[in-house]
Amino acid sequence: MERTQLRRQVALTRQSLFDQGFLDEQFIQLEDLQDDANPNFVEEVVTLYYRDSARLITNIEKALEKNSLDFNKLDGFMHQFKGSSSSIGAKKVKAECTLFREYCRAGNGEGCTRTFQQIKKEYATLKRKLEAYFQVVRQAGPAETACWPK
Amino acid sequence: MCKRLVQMMQGNIWISLNPLGSAQSMTLVLRFQNRPSYGRATFAPGSSSEQPSSNPQFRGLRVILADDDALNRAVTKKLLEKLGCEVTAVSSGFECLSALSSAENSVRLVVLDIQMPEMDGFEVATRIRKVRSRSWPLIIAVTASAEDNVWERCLQMGMNGMIRKPVLLQGMADELQRVLPRKSFEGRHSAS
Repeated sequence: MERTQLRRQVALTRQSLFDQGFLDEQFIQLEDLQDDANPNFVEEVVTLYYRDSARLITNIEKALEKNSLDFNKLDGFMHQFKGSSSSIGAKKVKAECTLFREYCRAGNGEGCTRTFQQIKKEYATLKRKLEAYFQVVRQAGPAETACWPK
Repeated sequence: MCKRLVQMMQGNIWISLNPLGSAQSMTLVLRFQNRPSYGRATFAPGSSSEQPSSNPQFRGLRVILADDDALNRAVTKKLLEKLGCEVTAVSSGFECLSALSSAENSVRLVVLDIQMPEMDGFEVATRIRKVRSRSWPLIIAVTASAEDNVWERCLQMGMNGMIRKPVLLQGMADELQRVLPRKSFEGRHSAS
């Protein structure tokens, strides 16, 4: 039955996101919060993440264009961005954020700029992969959930 | 005997009867500690069968959650609701104080992000304690800091508990359990 195949595809796609290091346990935390009252919670949170963090990315970009870099400000933005990224389990993005903050603390502008390019790359890759994942999830339809007697 | 064993494992076991009154099926519920596992037997998110949907001890607990980050606010709110709480989520220290004063005494707990712009969690806590006792409302701080002295500072400001980010379901449940008095709090809040 096609639905079974779709479900299998969901599981495989999901597994590969973890195996390839794109997601960590925090994503599972989000999955655990999803229930009948909020059946699309994970997707909603991820959408919120990409919407909110777009603004942060722009701010960091602008801050990096300045002639004299304000490392405190950059670190502040990155602290926020790292926090959000880690809330959705964005493992690779989070790792690059940590590196960026180290460069900030060392006052290394070139390191910051280079790392930021990497962050944007990982951020975009993850977005693509998650969009594809949620698409299959939606196609597969609602999952049977365990039924708790009230 | 099965029932005793299962209950010791904090689970439950019962027999469902069919319309004729004889045993049709037996259901066994066991609670397992949630561990990060990639090999879950689920095809889609949301079909977790590992956790009860709300801990009776926290059911109806009225909470104000203050966090300036929309994402963290959404996730922590859902987490608290999963534990049975009734949550009012606000995005700043100012909103937190005003929500608290308009709620009078019905809010039992404030969950406060320390790192907020304008008014941080420490200041919010100090202002709350100026007019309220140390145990009502209870205040739990949420911090990203890994420094050792954050907890001392929290205590000095009149907070009752602290959680480090990332906020996990079990971590929050444990801290709530630790901070709330053992007897049921339900008698003290207004009926909704």
